[in-house]
Formats: sequence, C-alpha cells, structure tokens
Amino acid sequence: MNPALSVIIFTTFSGLGYGLFIWLTASILIGTPPTNDQSVISIVLTFVLVSIGLISSTVHLGHPERAWRAFSQWRTSWLSREGIMSILTYGPMVFIGCNIYFNLGFDVLIKPMAILGLIGSIITVFTTSMIYASLKAIPAWHNKWVVIGYQAYAISSGGVAYIMVDGWQYYKVVIALLLFALLTKILTWVYIDKHRGQYKREDALGLPDFGKASPFEPAHSQKNYLQREMGYDLCPKRRGLMRWTALGCGFILPALLLYIGFPLTPIITLICLGGMMAERWLFFAEAEHVVRLYYDRDSI
Amino acid sequence: MTCLPEKTDKKLGLLIDLNICVGCHACAVSCKEWNTSGITGPMEDLKPYGDDPSGVWYNRIHSYEFKKEDEIDRTVYFPKSCLHCEDAPCVTVCPTGASLKRSEDGIVLVNPDVCIGCKLCSWACPYGAREYDTTGGVMQKCTLCVDKIYDETVSEERRVPSCVSTCPAGARHFGDFADPESNVSQLAAENDARDLFPEMETKPVNQYLPPRKREHHESKKLDHKVSTVKDALVKWAKLDFTG
Repeated sequence: MNPALSVIIFTTFSGLGYGLFIWLTASILIGTPPTNDQSVISIVLTFVLVSIGLISSTVHLGHPERAWRAFSQWRTSWLSREGIMSILTYGPMVFIGCNIYFNLGFDVLIKPMAILGLIGSIITVFTTSMIYASLKAIPAWHNKWVVIGYQAYAISSGGVAYIMVDGWQYYKVVIALLLFALLTKILTWVYIDKHRGQYKREDALGLPDFGKASPFEPAHSQKNYLQREMGYDLCPKRRGLMRWTALGCGFILPALLLYIGFPLTPIITLICLGGMMAERWLFFAEAEHVVRLYYDRDSI
Repeated sequence: MTCLPEKTDKKLGLLIDLNICVGCHACAVSCKEWNTSGITGPMEDLKPYGDDPSGVWYNRIHSYEFKKEDEIDRTVYFPKSCLHCEDAPCVTVCPTGASLKRSEDGIVLVNPDVCIGCKLCSWACPYGAREYDTTGGVMQKCTLCVDKIYDETVSEERRVPSCVSTCPAGARHFGDFADPESNVSQLAAENDARDLFPEMETKPVNQYLPPRKREHHESKKLDHKVSTVKDALVKWAKLDFTG
C-alpha cells in the first residue's frame, strides 16, 4: 500500500496521544497522580496530538467537508466506530483538564472520568487497529498482531511522553513495555514473512486448474488508481534498513536512554515518535493488496 | 445503511464466458461511453492525448497466458468489473453509508452525494473493482447500468448493461442469479461456473465460465512427429512421407 504521510501522522500522533492519556488516567486511578500542572500539560499535549492525528486523517479525503457523515455507520464500519470513539474520548479528557486548570471542584468525578478516559483511549486505539485488521484483502494487516501491536506501540510511546511531562516514577515499567512492544514488532514481521505467498494469481482468477498464469497484454497502458494506491514496491534492502530504523528509534534507543537516565526527555520522545513513524511507514509500504495478483504479483 | 441486506429479492449480475471472449475491449469502451453520461458519471479522463493518460474505468480487460504440463499454452482474456458480491466488504467498511447494496436486486452502488472519498472501500475490495475519481473526490464503480436496465422507454431486449449489449462475441450474459430458471443460472449450472477468488469469502454474484477443457491433442502429437527442420529433411532424404 502507498505509505501516505497523512495516515502515518494520523495513526502515530493519535497513538502517542492516547498512550499518554492512558498513562495519566492509570496513574490517577492507582492513586499516584502527577502534580496539577503536569496533569494539565499532559492533557493539553494529548489533546494536541490526538487533534493533529484526526485533522491529518481528513486531509486525504476527497470531501473533508463531509467528514461528519463518517459518524453514522458504527454498526458495520470500524472507521466510523473509530471516529465516534475518538470524539467521545475528548469528553473525559476535556473534563479532567478543565476541572484541574479552572479548579471547578468536581474532584469526586475525577476517578470515574479517569476510568472512562482510560477505557475510551484503549477502545479508540483498538478501533484504529481494526480499520486495518478487518481487511481480508491485505493479508499483512488481517491478523491479531496488528491489534496487539497498535495497543503496545501506543502505550509504550505514550509512556515515554509520560516520563517527559510527569517524571521518572514509572520509568522501569516504560522500559519493560518498550521491550514488550519490540518483541511484538519482531513477531509481527515473522508472521508477515512466514505468510507470504498464501494467495496465488490462479485463485484470484478462479482458474486454479489451468496451470500457471502470467500476465500477457497489460489491461491498460498507464498505471491506474489501483496501481498507484496499492502497487507500492519495497525493495528488500530498504525494508531491512527501515526495519532497523523502526526498532532502533522506536524501542531500543528510548529504552537504552531511559535506562541510563538520559535527562533530555523531549529528545527521547522525539526519537521514539520518529521510530513510530518509520514503523508506520513500513506498516503501509510492506502491506501488499491481493489486487496485485491481477497485475504484477504471482502470489501474495 | 452499510448493513448488507440479509437477502436480496433478485441477484442481478453478469456471466462472462472466458472461452468466448476475444479481448477486443469493446465492453470496456462501451461501458465508459454509456456511464460517463450516466447517473454516476462523468468518468474522469485526465490527459487523454498526453504521454500519461489516466482515468476511471468500471471495466478493465486483462489477459493471461496459462502454461500447463503436456498442454499447449492458452491465452485467456479476462474482463473484470464489480462482481456485486453478496458479502460485499466494500459496503460494510464504508463509514458514511455512501456504499450500499440494494435489497431489491443486489446491485452495489456508491452514492456520490454522500461519499467522502476516504478510499477505504477500494482497500476492502479484493478485485480492484472500485476506482477513485480525483476530479469529483468520490469513489466510482460499475453500476450494472442501473439507469439502462430498468429503462422502460427502450425495448426489452435493450434493457441489459451496456457491456452485454455491445459484446460482439456474445461472451457476456446478464440476468438474475437468484432465479434458477434464468439464462445466467442455467448457463452457470451447465458449464462449471467459477467464483473469482473464493478464498476471500465475498460470495460474488458475477460468475465466470472457464475456458473449455481440451479433449484432443492431435496438433501436439503432430508437433512431435516433425519437430525440427533437420528431422524433416532427413525423412525426405529417405523419401519417407508418413506423419
């Protein structure tokens, strides 16, 4: 699939934002909230990151002014569910932020709101992952690793941002989660690589009993929408380089810097976000759509 | 609504005979001609006379060469358009309800007034049946010529999709697959009709008749008997004219 910048920013920024909010709400619930100033900064950062993600996701639309219509089909569409959950999760986010900043005095509601915020964030990230995992036509996405991965990367990168804003209290947990996310990513690649070639061109043509099929005359002289959108070619050398970049910047380097107590936490967060963007670029670039079987792929 | 109908009254679709299709592209051209001024047109045509023309087509004609041991290679022309699947994944992923499957006849359509152009439906379709209209910012696809097949102002035999009425070889048939007595159901039952990509579990309505199996291999045997010019000359030198 074509790795469009808009969807890469959408999924990484909102993942980081919801991850940070998961950390904040969890720390409120277990009774170790950060200071009021830190909480407000966390919520502002979450708000900005999630909003950048949402706005970015509308950039690639043909009709951004109709985006509101996307909230209507929650009964079947994961994209619609994602839209609704992301808007609902703004509720507890804004409530907790306003209550602390303006000292509104609804302190008794903070914990219930934190529960809603925590659950809302986890469900929003889950719905984002299901947009991709529900697509059978893209085998690299149609598996449980996508769902586990999106959750793991949101919470691990959010943990790094939490340390940046709210302090080092849980840095060992963050390191453990970064390593868990690293393992998840490696296992995802093992899964993808082992399942290459499960669908054949002859299956796509409905003619598995006529021997080996290869394209004869092209159906059209120039590339069409399908080939531009779904015909991205990633050479193995570049894939290896990008995989190491994703692992190094997304998980290994942040974990290492946290372990040695590197004081410039914004730098660690930026490195982690960069790694996440490399990971997400690969997520799209590596995923092959089965429609390519009608064009230039013998098997996918 | 993007919920699929539990059952459609009719299952209108195409039956395409791969044994007959000669790959002339007349169906694709006729489709573009009809639909560019039809209900979901215009179908964009960017730089049609330039170096890199591009545009939307609802129907594309692929071709493949099949090689099988002990058989002569065969060329198969392969027209591909929307299959109007019963379990259409392009419909259920749509966040706006623009993508829909009609309960009366099973035709899958895009409402261009509601579509936000998110392209997710084209990702969900394993067949590449949907193409994005960059000019209008919406997704487009085969309508089964819904504005032609119900047109009571034309004679009944003309109420078929444009690709069917134009096919000079008679390779395309249109009808109701829900009716076992219909032309398409009977042709499908008699001729080992195929689903495209059954592994994707989309239950396509359109069916394809495979190329007929070859029963005789005489031509191949002949090839073996006089396989090279040298062999032929040697035979003639012996005044041997058998084979």
